[in-house]
Amino acid sequence: MEKNRKHVLLFSCVESEELARKVAAQSDCIQLQSINWRSFDDGFPNLFINNAQYIRGQHVAFMASFSSPAVIFEQLSVIFALPRLFVASFTLVLPFFPTGSFERMEEEGDVATAFTMARILSNIPISRGGPTSLVIYDIHALQERFYFGDHVLPCFETGIPLLKQRLHELPDADKICIAFPDDGAWKRFYKQLQHFPMVVCTKVREGDKRIVRLKEGNPAGHHVVIVDDLVQSGGTLIECQKVLAAHGAAKVSAYVTHAVFPKQSFERFTHKNDETSEKAFSYFWITDSCPLTVNAIANKAPFEVLSLAGSIAEALQI
Amino acid sequence: MAATLSRPSFSFRIPSSSCHLNFKTLNPSFLLVKPSHARSSEGKNQIISELKSFENSLKCSIDSISGTDHLHIVQNSSVVPMAATAAMDSPPKISKKVCLFYCTEMKELAERVAAESDAIELRSVTWRTFEDGFPNLFISNAHGIRGQHVAFLASFSSPGVIFEQLSVIYALPKMFISSFTLVLPFFPTGTFERMEEEGDVATAFTLARILSNIPISRGGPTSLVIFDIHALQERFYFGDNILPCFESGVPLLKNRLQQLPDSDNISVAFPDDGAWKRFHKQLQHFPTIVCTKVRDGNQRIVCLKEGDPKGRHVVIIDDLVQSGGTLIECQKMLAAHGAAKISAYVTHGIFPKKSWERFQRDSGGSPENGMSYFWITDSCPLTVKEVKSRPPFEVLSLSAPIAASLQIR
Repeated sequence: MEKNRKHVLLFSCVESEELARKVAAQSDCIQLQSINWRSFDDGFPNLFINNAQYIRGQHVAFMASFSSPAVIFEQLSVIFALPRLFVASFTLVLPFFPTGSFERMEEEGDVATAFTMARILSNIPISRGGPTSLVIYDIHALQERFYFGDHVLPCFETGIPLLKQRLHELPDADKICIAFPDDGAWKRFYKQLQHFPMVVCTKVREGDKRIVRLKEGNPAGHHVVIVDDLVQSGGTLIECQKVLAAHGAAKVSAYVTHAVFPKQSFERFTHKNDETSEKAFSYFWITDSCPLTVNAIANKAPFEVLSLAGSIAEALQI
Repeated sequence: MAATLSRPSFSFRIPSSSCHLNFKTLNPSFLLVKPSHARSSEGKNQIISELKSFENSLKCSIDSISGTDHLHIVQNSSVVPMAATAAMDSPPKISKKVCLFYCTEMKELAERVAAESDAIELRSVTWRTFEDGFPNLFISNAHGIRGQHVAFLASFSSPGVIFEQLSVIYALPKMFISSFTLVLPFFPTGTFERMEEEGDVATAFTLARILSNIPISRGGPTSLVIFDIHALQERFYFGDNILPCFESGVPLLKNRLQQLPDSDNISVAFPDDGAWKRFHKQLQHFPTIVCTKVRDGNQRIVCLKEGDPKGRHVVIIDDLVQSGGTLIECQKMLAAHGAAKISAYVTHGIFPKKSWERFQRDSGGSPENGMSYFWITDSCPLTVKEVKSRPPFEVLSLSAPIAASLQIR
């Protein structure tokens, strides 16, 4: 029996326009809309939602990207305004929830910015369709689902199915082994990857330093794929790769959902053009959750972008 | 019969090396009444003034601009109104002790506020950033604020600095403090509060909503202190978990005007009806001039609507200035109608893209080209940095009214 598919009007922030286009291309039921993004001289946003009357009674979604604190306020202004334009329902798609790694208070005085972010999003006005649906991919800490108040319905998705599909296409699909850089990553992902052999790494303190060691599993002879939710400087991944290679891994690749890569740190991974340089990572799969980085990387080897467009289009039908 | 004691007030001339001296008075208990006086020596004007408003006596500090030296005078007194009952000997009100945190741009104003009263103590936040640009914040001595009254002095000069300050603002009330006050002297986006057509996004609503969502503390809803909010209706934008407290910088101006040698020749001018609505009640004892914009074909021209500027020292008053275009048009029109001198006062000197450069000084005789004074407060600290030693600008500090607002129980 075919489900009735919702017709959804999709707005987007400037950074995510390309991803929004891809999402709209996935389905006839998703239609792109536009916003005028301007600034006043004092730097504050001067925004206009085009065709505001037309969206009345329609399902509406907004594709956001909080790549830096500076772009939050303008997007938030649209996010707070849309639900009150008599829309039938409102969905916020925020593929990457930033600050997610700063969610613990280790000592009193630490300011958990993830709490700030969750609080701001929990305060989105409700629309006629009830609480806002909030779609997030691979949120950093599993407990974070509880940070959100009652007026939003967080919908936690994952990019792992995209990885699994890609792995099936590889010629050495039967030699694949999944490695987790730490216990946190294992907790987050092992259930989705149970049919692969697994390796778990850990950081062990040796004097002042912390060294990556193999904790469980045997990578020898395998094409090992290190899986984590996000990458910042890439230091952890590089250390893992070295340990895995030292233990006999035939090839090492990596997958992260969110390629944060501040300050162009992805350059540590790109294959240099000369013949002699070692290609430490065979593949580095990322999704398009962080559009600015994805644009900067521009598909340079070993990077391959697995698009969230299909998955987002499905999530919009919820 | 309630007695009033007169307390000494201090003023010092600071040497040109521009050091900053603070003197604290003891905890006050009586209403201080003192005539204001001005002293002038060696061509440098030092002005010590005091104003009495409805409930509180406020001391204000003024940066006097003269020559190349910048004198920085901070005066301190904590004054609290006497209990109203004359029949009994009411015990002196003890000011509540307040721990004052602040954002980086407001450091100077925070220091002045703390200098106003022994009861206000500065606290610090470590403001760092992670590599990805998101804030890495630490509130020092977090245990030490438990059971204390806490305040945060914020400045949202651009969208980029909101998130880091908001993180501290959302965190502080949950640290077992006894009350929380957010002082946001300038509420930005205030001018973008109308939806003229469907599709306009009223960013003032966004900001009000974000602030209305500050967690409540043991002391109940957060107090939110704002000076001269742009639209009077905006007080209704705030939710129930926050208590907006709307103050004004105009008392500082009135006091300053009283010190001018031609204080008996001052008229106030409002650039439009909006400004008149906002301010006329506080300035009723001055002759009033109201301007208006009239459509002439495609253009809008500033015209005189009420009042007569001839021969007067006219002070144009508004809540804020952006490019300054409106003020300049008013100035030219008032000069054309015979104003002898023209000055301006705005609470909030936004001046994006250095637009303050358009304002020149009139040293005498040419009001159409320059202003005698341009007063702003220190609500917009980034501008204050740029204009504080440049005539015709003079900065009137909000430190005293802010310190007083922190004492509201």
